[in-house]
Amino acid sequence: MKLLKDKVAKLSFVALLAATSASVLYTPTAAAHGEKSQAAFMRMRTIHWFDLNWSKDTVPVNDTMTLSGKAMVFTGWPESVDKPDVAFLNIGIPGPVYIRAGSWIGGQLVPRSVALELGETYEFKVLLKARRPGDWHVHPMMSVKGGGPIIGPGKWTTITGSMRDFVDPVTTLTGDTINLETYNIDNVYFWHALWFAIGLAWMFYWIRRPQFVPRSIAVESGKANTLITATDRKVAMAFTAGTIAMVAITMQQANDKYPITTPLQAGVLRNIKPFQMPATTVSVKVEDATYRVPGRAMQMTLKVTNNGDTAVRLGEFTTASVRFLDPNVLEDTTGYPDDLLAEEGLTVSDNSPLAPGQTRTINVTASDAAWEVYRLADLIYDPDSRFAGLLFFYDAAGKRQLVTVDAPLIPVFI
Amino acid sequence: MSASQSAVRSRAEAVKVSRTFDWLILFTLFFVVLGGYHIHYMLTGGDWDFWTDWKDRRLWVTVAPIVSITFPAAVQACLWYRYRLPYGAVVCVLGLLLGEWINRYFNFWGWTYFPVSICFPSQLIPGAIVLDAILMLSGSMTMTAVVGGLAWGLLFYPSNWPCIAPLHVPVEWNGMMMTLADLQGYHYVRTGTPEYIRMVEKGTLRTFGKDVAPVSAFFSGFVSIIIYFLWHFFGRWFASTAFVSGEKV
Repeated sequence: MKLLKDKVAKLSFVALLAATSASVLYTPTAAAHGEKSQAAFMRMRTIHWFDLNWSKDTVPVNDTMTLSGKAMVFTGWPESVDKPDVAFLNIGIPGPVYIRAGSWIGGQLVPRSVALELGETYEFKVLLKARRPGDWHVHPMMSVKGGGPIIGPGKWTTITGSMRDFVDPVTTLTGDTINLETYNIDNVYFWHALWFAIGLAWMFYWIRRPQFVPRSIAVESGKANTLITATDRKVAMAFTAGTIAMVAITMQQANDKYPITTPLQAGVLRNIKPFQMPATTVSVKVEDATYRVPGRAMQMTLKVTNNGDTAVRLGEFTTASVRFLDPNVLEDTTGYPDDLLAEEGLTVSDNSPLAPGQTRTINVTASDAAWEVYRLADLIYDPDSRFAGLLFFYDAAGKRQLVTVDAPLIPVFI
Repeated sequence: MSASQSAVRSRAEAVKVSRTFDWLILFTLFFVVLGGYHIHYMLTGGDWDFWTDWKDRRLWVTVAPIVSITFPAAVQACLWYRYRLPYGAVVCVLGLLLGEWINRYFNFWGWTYFPVSICFPSQLIPGAIVLDAILMLSGSMTMTAVVGGLAWGLLFYPSNWPCIAPLHVPVEWNGMMMTLADLQGYHYVRTGTPEYIRMVEKGTLRTFGKDVAPVSAFFSGFVSIIIYFLWHFFGRWFASTAFVSGEKV
């Protein structure tokens, strides 16, 4: 027995030590939104986020910032993910640290779900009002019914000030201006406390007398009827009548106080206006594509034809929100998140200007640690081993052309 | 003291032990029911109970009473038939609401900063009092199921209306009309709960115009009757004692 006690004591001590160590000694902030865990093919072949802009890095409480950009709904949408017939423009933040003061796609307010078309590009904007101080990772996100959340790139922003100062004024159609942050709280507390007290009163009426043992003996010995008295019946009738009357009266009072109420609003918003991308005069054919596992680099052989009237150069390859740039052609000035930006990550075998009417076959290498860090290399383990992304070509005047690529990918292990 | 001797030596001592036993059982019952009922209600009622922009006049009214009459029916079966104690429904609902309020205040507000005014629980106490009182007055499971179950469904919406009416006041927001509850759901970002998951205002009750809540409440009451029967028998089975002879042990 003593041996057993000693063992229990020892194990308990070890468990306590482990629990203390796990909770006290190492408590990093959980800030990610699972973007790295999402299957690589989903991030590469569903929504392509580009031209993103976080209007501010630091936002005081009650001030606003805008997250805007474009979302291309990729034509080569994977078969295993439901099409975005019902989708919702969401925001990836850790709870309502910002409130969503407004969100628009193609200029239309989208508080509800929308229907998106494959192959179209949509311009979006989300207005966020700072609420809780701290450093928060802010992502655009398209939640797709049957597909799950498709998260875009995240950027750290800082909210300063105090949450106690946060206000959310709203003027109703009945002419009242309220603070939605605190509206109706006292009313909810009052009614719940009142009914809880009435429920407790019913309980106390019964539990003040002997309960289980004597009542069980009475029931077992056939004297169950003696346990309920005439007074008990009167009390029960009073509670029943009082409850029903109180429910009816309080409902009427609520109707009198709020004579104009409407049902919750729901339904899918259709006919969302897509963004008209400029016509593309560059055509690209993927001859082959490989991913070199040891070198964390993707290589593509592209046959590029310039059908336009100005010479162009390849400046950027974007996939799964990771941007690979050729520094000789393009430099990022938008403040794009560092961890998703490979400023010198794009190497082109011959990136001299491609003259109008000319066709050239080039070898393009996109290499960066981001392939591993963002778990894009896991693409080779997907059931449908294809890659996809956006290529951006630039002319001498800085005019941009976007071309999508979608092709099989062969892994190289040695 | 031998095994055949009583542990108590006087009637006063027996009463004291009996009352101590009462409190022990009540305390345990309350928290066991709190845990079980809370998990059950979160799994079956879930978002309808969590968020104000789910508390509509069709599905919330229908679903919440049906899935919440379960534990009250089962606990009533045990407490009434074995002890003639008519507080099975109220003790369940008090436990559920205490658990829900702890969850909503410390988790929803304390950890994730949703104001309590968007995530307060549904009110179930009026229905529970009526359910217990009907069982006590009638002493009949059938009567309690039929009258009490129907009352449970019918009382649900009006019991909650004083809390949710202020949130159904309309507002215009950037050119669209919505209720304040809709606006709460829109403003307070729920990353893992996109709008399309919201199951509100779905169904084909169009013949009744805007007055669908009473129809939904009646339907909910009818189904609650059936669920009451089912869970009442669960309760009876769970509270039964099977004696086996010593030879079989």
